[in-house]
Amino acid sequence: MFHRNPFAPLTRRELLGRMGAGFGSIGLASMMAGSVSGNANSNGALSANQNSPLFPKAPHFAPKAKRVIQLFMPGGPSQVDTFDHKPALEKHAGQRPEIVNRKTLRNTKNGLMVSPFKFQQYGQSGKWVSDIFPHVAKEVDELCFIHSMHTDIPEHAGAILMFNLGHLQPSRPSLGSWLCYGLGSENQNLPGFVAMSPRAQPRGKLANWGNAFLPGAYAGSYVNIASMKPDQILKDLKNSRLPYGEQRKQADLLTQLNRIHLERQKQNDQLESGIQAMEMAFRMQFAVPDTFDLTRESKQTLEMYGDSEYAKGCLLARRMIERGVRCVQLSHSIDGYDIAWDTGHGDIKGGHARLAKACDQGIAALIKDLRNRGLLDETLVVWGGEFGRAPTSEGKNGRDHDHYGFTVWMAGGGVKPGISYGATDEFGCSAVENRVHVHDLHATILHSMGLDHEKLTYRYSGRDYRLTDVSGKVIREIFI
Amino acid sequence: MTLSTSLKSIESSGDQVKGIPSYPVIHVCLVAVSVISLCFWSVCQTKGDDGIEFFEKKIRPVLVEKCYQCHSGDAKKLKGGLLLEYREQILKGGDSGPAIISGKPADSLLIGSLKWDSLEMPPSGKLPDGVVKDFEHWVSIGAPWPKSEKTPIVNAATVYDWEKVRQEHWSFRPVVRPSIPTENNSEWEKNGVDYFVYKRLSSNALRPAEASAGVDLVRRIYFDLVGLPPMPQQVVEFVKKYSNNPDAAVSSLVDQLLESRHYGERWGRHWLDVARYSDGFGGFNDGSAMPDAWRYRDWVVDALNRDIPFGEFIKLQIAGDLIGDRNAAVGTGFLALGPTYRSDGGDPDSVAQSKSETLDDRIDTLTRGLMGITASCARCHDHKFDPIPQLDYYSLAGVFNNTGVHQGPIAKDEEVALYNQHQKKINDLTNRLKQLNQQFKKEKRQATAEEAGMVAELNQDIAELKKNSPPKFATAHMLRDTGSSNMKVAIRGDLRKTGAEAPRRFLRVLAGDKAVPFKNGSGRLELAEAVAAPSNPLTGRVFVNRVWQHHFGNALVRTPSNLGKLGELPTHPELLDWLVCELMDSGSIKELHRLIMNSATYRMSAQFDSDSFQNDGGNRLLWRMNPRRLDVEAWRDALLSVTGELDLVMGGPPSEDLNSRRRTLYFKTSRAGDRFGSDKLLRMFDFPIMRATVAKRPVSIVPQQYLFMLNSSFMNDRARALSARLKKSSEDPAARIQLAYRLLYGRPPREDEINLGVKFVLRQDEAKVDNWEKYCQVLLCSNEFFFLQ
Repeated sequence: MFHRNPFAPLTRRELLGRMGAGFGSIGLASMMAGSVSGNANSNGALSANQNSPLFPKAPHFAPKAKRVIQLFMPGGPSQVDTFDHKPALEKHAGQRPEIVNRKTLRNTKNGLMVSPFKFQQYGQSGKWVSDIFPHVAKEVDELCFIHSMHTDIPEHAGAILMFNLGHLQPSRPSLGSWLCYGLGSENQNLPGFVAMSPRAQPRGKLANWGNAFLPGAYAGSYVNIASMKPDQILKDLKNSRLPYGEQRKQADLLTQLNRIHLERQKQNDQLESGIQAMEMAFRMQFAVPDTFDLTRESKQTLEMYGDSEYAKGCLLARRMIERGVRCVQLSHSIDGYDIAWDTGHGDIKGGHARLAKACDQGIAALIKDLRNRGLLDETLVVWGGEFGRAPTSEGKNGRDHDHYGFTVWMAGGGVKPGISYGATDEFGCSAVENRVHVHDLHATILHSMGLDHEKLTYRYSGRDYRLTDVSGKVIREIFI
Repeated sequence: MTLSTSLKSIESSGDQVKGIPSYPVIHVCLVAVSVISLCFWSVCQTKGDDGIEFFEKKIRPVLVEKCYQCHSGDAKKLKGGLLLEYREQILKGGDSGPAIISGKPADSLLIGSLKWDSLEMPPSGKLPDGVVKDFEHWVSIGAPWPKSEKTPIVNAATVYDWEKVRQEHWSFRPVVRPSIPTENNSEWEKNGVDYFVYKRLSSNALRPAEASAGVDLVRRIYFDLVGLPPMPQQVVEFVKKYSNNPDAAVSSLVDQLLESRHYGERWGRHWLDVARYSDGFGGFNDGSAMPDAWRYRDWVVDALNRDIPFGEFIKLQIAGDLIGDRNAAVGTGFLALGPTYRSDGGDPDSVAQSKSETLDDRIDTLTRGLMGITASCARCHDHKFDPIPQLDYYSLAGVFNNTGVHQGPIAKDEEVALYNQHQKKINDLTNRLKQLNQQFKKEKRQATAEEAGMVAELNQDIAELKKNSPPKFATAHMLRDTGSSNMKVAIRGDLRKTGAEAPRRFLRVLAGDKAVPFKNGSGRLELAEAVAAPSNPLTGRVFVNRVWQHHFGNALVRTPSNLGKLGELPTHPELLDWLVCELMDSGSIKELHRLIMNSATYRMSAQFDSDSFQNDGGNRLLWRMNPRRLDVEAWRDALLSVTGELDLVMGGPPSEDLNSRRRTLYFKTSRAGDRFGSDKLLRMFDFPIMRATVAKRPVSIVPQQYLFMLNSSFMNDRARALSARLKKSSEDPAARIQLAYRLLYGRPPREDEINLGVKFVLRQDEAKVDNWEKYCQVLLCSNEFFFLQ
């Protein structure tokens, strides 16, 4: 019932025990590699690295995915104008059948509105996709669509937090920080969790990648894709005053003095951890800028992604995933708007077309690129917003929020490719078949990563917390 | 929604009520409810009506037996958001709409489900046809239900024998002064503390560590009491006294530092963790600033420095506005500085949830912070482990539901009146001026010469008044009473679904079955008295335990904010109670420090010992002092102190300037922990997020901290300042290194340390940065500077 606080200093016995038992399976090898490269400490002692909160931890069971890329679409993309094709809209346009007569945020009372976009079938799966996602459409045979998502409230702020934290208030840890808490990171020279967006941060800002009450090491580091500065991701990453050689000499002296001090104390895990952490910090200074250096990509790759800011984020996401970052959250935004897809209120046609154009090619390229590099199997990609939009119209050309039903898709990470799970009603208003709440989605993501959402707990303010609160049901059917 | 679609949605969703916080996830099998007791309830309500009788005989028993496990307030997991405990609930239905349409069995979801036509209910097995027919009949005759039974049956099943419950768990029992176990003594003990500690050690074949060396001890005492390192001269003096008469040396240093004003700053900060103190800014939905928060911080510092009686210290923070003068009201910042959540778009569920979260903050801070009891767990259901019924949660919530937060004046009445009068004058004149201008506008004309003169005069008067305005009187965030009504139990934590009325009164686990309802206003003063009462076994234990934690690095109960059944047991229960008795007798927190710090236990060295470590690696029995890392405040203050830059001015508004030379206590902090540069620095070094009362800070050692130490301009600046200080002291490198070690570590360097230093600073430099500066940065980044023995 009481599990040990993972951050309490370990006794020597525990250290040895852990070395032998649990950690062999994942990450240790890459971790050792990471520590040997980059001019590691001469004194060796790898064991103390295990005191690092980001040291790789064994999952609860064999994982399908090792990493997650979340392509977050804040503002609420309209399901019936993107991936949830509803031909019935045409036949009943202008009508308001009882089934869609549900309260929306702004209490819109209009009838059904036909999508301004054409849909076509793609791939072997014959999946219908709207014309605003021509590139993603070509990858549909890799995608697993969940058409039956639903969430609690139709307000952006709360629903965005629900999507990223599993809670309506900003007081809980984010999905990515739970993942790092549960699994550690496979690269000790980079943060375990990186959040990115072009210019505007999604509403709620830091809370969306925050660690709340989890230890600070699990906080997401934020990168603004528009500027792409490596030292943004880690503060004080760069030593602006000393050349490498001088820095190295300084670090060596520090290690020597710390060793003398440690000898006098005979034994102290925390002191040992301090020595290790300093060495890691030293290596990070060089590993992080390398990740950001897109000039190392081939011309072909760069062309495949295209040159939108979001696409740049997609490419960066792949580079991070490749280096063992556990979770990348890449939020969409154009025009510096924190809930980009909300342009749907007044103008689905113009707003959604521009937004899709800004991300379509990059997303498709990311899927292809991950597949080509053999990374897709171990990487779970999740696309979606905090809710969807009503099939009825708001004003003349818009759609109000719809939290009763919306679409999310996944790729890689052991999910079945080319399938659709769950369904909304015939007009796309509410999830009716195989309904999936956001908590269920979270439970499923954790499951893919080898974590039992009911067992991934953290004791805080007198009780154990989970990402899924008291809910969540893994959608087992979508896994291969 | 059509029937068929709604049926599908129930079937597949497995929905639960959302937006309610969870109980501990440790799902120890919680056997749902003694459902039978529900049966007793009902019968008395009937009036001989045939329908009712039919319901009681044929329907209710089935509901209780077959449905309530998933569809009642006591369900372990409520399914489909559907409650079946009273008629309104059934008519209203769950996530899929009404469960029955009265008079229309064919259209009733419930009937379809029982027939396994659509849903298959109950899932454990289809009910006999006869029973399903009974339900059909019942719906067709209008679903009769006892009329008077409108309140839902909430937690009716849980019955507490309060007297028994209060004896069952150690922390709920009264504190009885234990006798000091002197029988098995050694030469080691110095006061009562040590006898208790020695008893546990000796019975576990452990020996206390040797007394610390003077240089270590003086450093420990300084950081402990004032959060600052001793100056080299102070070290020398102490070491000399300590070698002659250790007891007197310790005792006089402790006395001296307890009288230092910086004592309040150090221990005030510890208390601010309990108070989840911040300057506001909790992020959206809770984004307001708390510009006067610092008044409460200064109040705490001052209260500790003045050593106000312990009971008063507690009481004023709950109900200072109802007890003392204006200054006393500032103490209620303890609760007033918490979050006040709002809804973003006014969605009614969201509004209710925001209110519920706000109330929960007050209850959580009060109960965990002051009494080590997790009452918040009883927000949605009876506490699963501790004897706190949901009803009691709403008894407390009622107090805070009648309590408001405002920025109240803390100046003298005359000062407030003077300011207000002055403002009124300005307003009057401004209104007069407005009227005139409106008149001109309305009459579409220019002012006459006379009127123009009036306008000019008015403008001049207003300017004059504004110039001479007395300063705005000081304000602080404080509580005030706003009403005196009871709340109703919120079913599953949802304030929109209410149940039985919860009288405002104290927790029955402490007050017993006969807990008296609060009578005055919100009841907050009575609540304060109950919390602070010397007879309350929790408040004293929790406080003493926290004090112990800060002296030793670990508390006697290692879950300092949870003394309930899920908390740890005390390692030294008798010692804890003995200290509580001492505190209650003296009422003096400073006396408590004296008692602890003059013990031989406190004086033990932190030296590692492999045998003892094998035996008790966690040092639960206190065979040595725990080595510790400094918290971020002490570490940063020490950095500024050893370079000679620290500004020791006390109190006043906080600063977010990272280059501030003031003590770290005066940094601005946001509740969200991400708004200010100061937040980011603090959080990097384990400053906790101030969203909820903090039991203990974690200690994380991560590379980001070293990037800061090695590369930040703040650290570069400190290195430069230290290097300048050293250079000024002497021309001789060895002498400079000597000084550095005495300043930073309170000890002279060893020969190898001098040699390494000299070699480093006399090197041919590759960079533009001075070698001494680089060397100083190394010393400031060292473990020895960051860790305490």
